[in-house]
Amino acid sequence: VSRADLALLVPELILSGMALVLLLAARRIQRTPLAMGGTVLAALGAALAAATAESGTGVGGMITVDGYSRFFLVLVAAALALAAFLSARHPEGERGLRVEYHVLFLLTATGMMLAVSSLDLLTLYLGLELMTLCSTVLVGFTVERPAANEAALKYFLIASFASALLLFGISLTYGLTGATELAAIASALKSAEGNPLPLVALGLVLAGLAFKIAAVPFHAWAPDAYQGASAPVAAFLAAGSKAAGLAALGRVCLIAFPSEAGALGRILVVLAGLSIVVGSLLALSQTDMKRLLAYSSIAHVGYALLGLAAGTPGGAAATMTYAFFYVFMTLGAFGVVIALGAQGESLDGYRGLAAQRPGLAALMLLFLLSLTGIPPTAGFAAKFVVIVSAVRADHLLLAVLAVLCSVVSAFVYLRVVVFMYMREPTAPVPARVSMTVSTALALAALVTLFGGIVPGSLVPWAVSP
Amino acid sequence: VSAYGEYIGIAVTFVLAGGIALAMVILGSTLGKKNPTAVKLAPFECGKDPLSVPMGRLAIKFYLTAILFILFDVELVFLYPWAVVYRELGLTGLVEMGVFLGVLMAGFVYAWDNGALDWK
Repeated sequence: VSRADLALLVPELILSGMALVLLLAARRIQRTPLAMGGTVLAALGAALAAATAESGTGVGGMITVDGYSRFFLVLVAAALALAAFLSARHPEGERGLRVEYHVLFLLTATGMMLAVSSLDLLTLYLGLELMTLCSTVLVGFTVERPAANEAALKYFLIASFASALLLFGISLTYGLTGATELAAIASALKSAEGNPLPLVALGLVLAGLAFKIAAVPFHAWAPDAYQGASAPVAAFLAAGSKAAGLAALGRVCLIAFPSEAGALGRILVVLAGLSIVVGSLLALSQTDMKRLLAYSSIAHVGYALLGLAAGTPGGAAATMTYAFFYVFMTLGAFGVVIALGAQGESLDGYRGLAAQRPGLAALMLLFLLSLTGIPPTAGFAAKFVVIVSAVRADHLLLAVLAVLCSVVSAFVYLRVVVFMYMREPTAPVPARVSMTVSTALALAALVTLFGGIVPGSLVPWAVSP
Repeated sequence: VSAYGEYIGIAVTFVLAGGIALAMVILGSTLGKKNPTAVKLAPFECGKDPLSVPMGRLAIKFYLTAILFILFDVELVFLYPWAVVYRELGLTGLVEMGVFLGVLMAGFVYAWDNGALDWK
């Protein structure tokens, strides 16, 4: 490993280094804010290092820093920092394994970053696996809650199954092309026209990655896992792991399998359409907020896939924009759930919130409007670019479907708004929101508003691989 | 056929071994005398009572010790090949191994810190 190789991995090294330091000091840190501060500091350092890193490829052609990875590295670091802020009220926060909780956050983010900057199927798999393993432990972190144990077990079993599919796809690809590097796979597949086996390999790899981003029909684990996990963990899973999965999916689709572009496009169109329809419809009947947001996240992955389904650099850029704004609005919505404590987890808890906590209700309104895709929020700008890219790729039916399901999802999100603004309060809400949760909410709200008012702000950075 | 020629011996061994084993089972069950008794029909388990709880309770600390053992085991697996090519790798190899051992030892120190070595 040369110095140039290490320079490519600085963000990952910062996060894992901080994780090691926290782990060594775990029994000596008496105060939670110290562990949280360390995590946020590492996230800021990693974001800074990623943003200023020089482009290049190294570590045997497996790791790269380019515009694409820089974008997602910063996004993952931001999600980590916000999720750490949101963990102030974590049920385990005041006793027990408070430092280990943040260590697992750091390592999950390290895995995401590794997956995002991979140019090789093996490092990609390694990164995704690190992410999945650590988040499994995080999902089951509140050991004394049976729901958390069940969620962790379900998540573990289905994630293992997905990993097996992904590995099978990778091994088939290797058998066909003799390569695991994305670019080498592409050039080897170009000469293998007419062979049906690359299609099988592609299908398996796509299925494995679709599990990671919870796209229908590989979504069944998400609602249970999110509901069983504590809210900050669910928020980090919904935001970070989807962003990392989408980044990995985008790179694999665009670099490794351009020879299968036709089939790839059709598979992604089906995944996107199903995710949008099923996610929006199933969200209608949810009364648990974490489940509702889980189904909403499934629908949003469908919208994000609209860009990738186009198969063009412009489409990938649209997906990047969508992923970016989605992370902030989802973390914001989960943030309000966390701020309300146990009461925020059920829909009934939002009755009359506007009368008791007008500020919190207004923030929730902003995030819900953004999730629906109503201007002037970032959600509208994001939805606009992906639907435009679907229209440009002649997926007219899909574009119409996306708009229709947006209307359906408006009912889902506005139902919460009706509860907040037009119902009488039933229970008193928690008196104060912790400083760090407010900070995270403010940051998420800022990005959500800014992205809506200045819609083109991300264009210079959202460059496809 | 010529490419796989050297494997023919293995295939013949498989066929012979399978054939002989199959023949013994078939011959035993067709030609042998049958005189079933209740004791003979009971599941055989080395003279033990076959109807009992399969496994007693096992203290979790054994698993912990086993995991700590694996920590050192994995370390050794990497140390041996490193020692063989130590001279060729030079200072870089030493530093890299130091980092690797440092990370592993951090895990060990964490386990120690949390009382993994207290046998009670």
